[in-house]
Amino acid sequence: MQHQFKGHDGLIEVLLEKQGDHWLFNGHTARVKDSRTLSLDLSDGTTGQATVVKVKDAWWVHFQGHTFCLERIEPGTSDGGDEGGLTAPMPGKVLEVLVQTGDIVVAGQALMILEAMKMEHRIVAATDGTISAVHFAAGDQVQQGSALLELVE
Amino acid sequence: MVSKVLVANRGEIACRILRACSEAGLESVAIYASNDADSMFVELATEAIMLEGDSISETYLNQQQILEIASSSGCDAIHPGFGFLSERADFARAVGDSGIQWVGPSPEAIEKMGDKMTARITMRHAGVPVIPGEEIEQEDEGEALRAIEQASSRVGYPLLLKASSGGGGKGMRAVQRPDELLDAAKSARREAVAAFGDGRVYLERLLTGSKHVEIQILADRTGRTIHLGERECSVQRRHQKVFEEAPCATMTEEIRSAMGQAAVAAAQAVNYEGAGTVEFLLAPSGEFFFLEMNTRIQVEHPVTELVTGVDIVREQLRIAAGQPMSCGELHLRGHAIEVRLYAEDASNNFLPAIGPLAVFRPPEGPGIRLDTGVRQGDEVTPNYDPMLAKLIVWAPSREEALQRMRRSLDDFVVLGTTTNLRFLRELCDVPDVITGDTDTTMIDRLWPNGWSPAVPPNFTDGALLVAAAAESAGLNMSLSVSNQMVGDSGPVSPFLTLNRRYP
Repeated sequence: MQHQFKGHDGLIEVLLEKQGDHWLFNGHTARVKDSRTLSLDLSDGTTGQATVVKVKDAWWVHFQGHTFCLERIEPGTSDGGDEGGLTAPMPGKVLEVLVQTGDIVVAGQALMILEAMKMEHRIVAATDGTISAVHFAAGDQVQQGSALLELVE
Repeated sequence: MVSKVLVANRGEIACRILRACSEAGLESVAIYASNDADSMFVELATEAIMLEGDSISETYLNQQQILEIASSSGCDAIHPGFGFLSERADFARAVGDSGIQWVGPSPEAIEKMGDKMTARITMRHAGVPVIPGEEIEQEDEGEALRAIEQASSRVGYPLLLKASSGGGGKGMRAVQRPDELLDAAKSARREAVAAFGDGRVYLERLLTGSKHVEIQILADRTGRTIHLGERECSVQRRHQKVFEEAPCATMTEEIRSAMGQAAVAAAQAVNYEGAGTVEFLLAPSGEFFFLEMNTRIQVEHPVTELVTGVDIVREQLRIAAGQPMSCGELHLRGHAIEVRLYAEDASNNFLPAIGPLAVFRPPEGPGIRLDTGVRQGDEVTPNYDPMLAKLIVWAPSREEALQRMRRSLDDFVVLGTTTNLRFLRELCDVPDVITGDTDTTMIDRLWPNGWSPAVPPNFTDGALLVAAAAESAGLNMSLSVSNQMVGDSGPVSPFLTLNRRYP
């Protein structure tokens, strides 16, 4: 069985093998104990209980003090990406817009300041480029994931 | 007499106070905004009354509405907790004027300490050492900015800009170089206006390499004012504490005694009543300077409770009722450490996170205390502070307390929302934390380019295997989020609760 997850640098493929009630991958073994728990046996001899839960498309996994959030790609769907837009990391209010359409910006430059949870957050250019659109003005409320500005490299 | 207490707060501190009321045999009233209707604290009160309105200013900050509820429900005391109205002198005054007992100091004491500039001046007069710096009295933006610029050359760099009405790191900016001053001052003033309605800021020399050490105070109406030893809270991110302990690892009996006396003098200078905290910066030289006094119960009070055996919230209720505090001579016993569990992404500049607490399983065992206002199935929303819980451990020695904290953090499972659990766990392995040589700039110094977790080899593969196996085995079927919950005899889904709240 094959599964795909979203990684930092693209897709991660997991080719899963089943032997009896054991699941195998890269020399590691897992077995389902109940709907939230799997016992995990790593190739280096580390063993323990992992806790899992699925929220929307993501599997959350806890194992020995480490927590992972693994977003699963449904077979047949493409990894849409965010089209280079700069999106709101969480719901909040636009405090200040520091750039205009047409501005040339450098990586790391602050473009917009948001307020969320009573704290200020800077929206920063990930790359050098030109601002091709600004979608919000100071005072506007934004939802999580809203495209705030567009940056063309 | 106090017989029925309205708790003007929410979340974990409301739970803490409501439980203390229950233990003291007092009736209690919880007030809650509509988006808190299913929150845990609402269930812990004798009575719960919903606040009208949506925003925080219409609800938890709505003095008139809260006073009306207190009167109509027959409350004879109001406990403000921390944050919200806890340091609002006008509210404390209005409460007193309505014939209701305020659980805390007088409005005058709150005013003198709440305005940080006035507090600095009051402390100077009381002979308590303050950090070298200058108060900026100008309220007009242009004039204030000019005055800040002039003062900066006398205070010297690096310096700190702090909101006179500030707290919790809001309206505070560290300025390393003169060319950063103007932007920092504007931003600090803007944040201060938004948070406190008062843009006045003052300058302090930034004392690098210092420890944040604070003294817990109790004062009752019989004229007794005592200190309960120190807490060290040097480990901070964005000027907010994340790791607190008692006692301070490098404290000497001599400094504790001097600092304790200074704290008692600070409290007496404003005729303090109730529980309060006097914060100091402790320089490597052993010199210490007054930072501010918090005229309320403090987030990290549990570590003091564990090493002194004093129930500070019960003492607050006793003192408010006009009784003498119950604690006698104090002896510090063992070591306590508290960490603050935040819904935030420590690997992305500690950005607050939201989401469901699909799994929330705290650690258990001897010497472990959890103060929280959430439970499994709750949703973390952007409406309130992202602090989910305080995990506090006690052990006979500091070394054992750190060992217990490591084990507790490893056992703590929170899934569905990103938290700082792993960051806290790695903190426990930092050599400076192990030796106790912590200072307020430690996090920035250790992780100048931001923190990212150190994941052991194979763990990522193991997690991928678990996720893939869980998917293939169909474990998601009983837990999937859908508007039409399929009838299922399996384990109760936490999302049933979520669906009830967010249809």
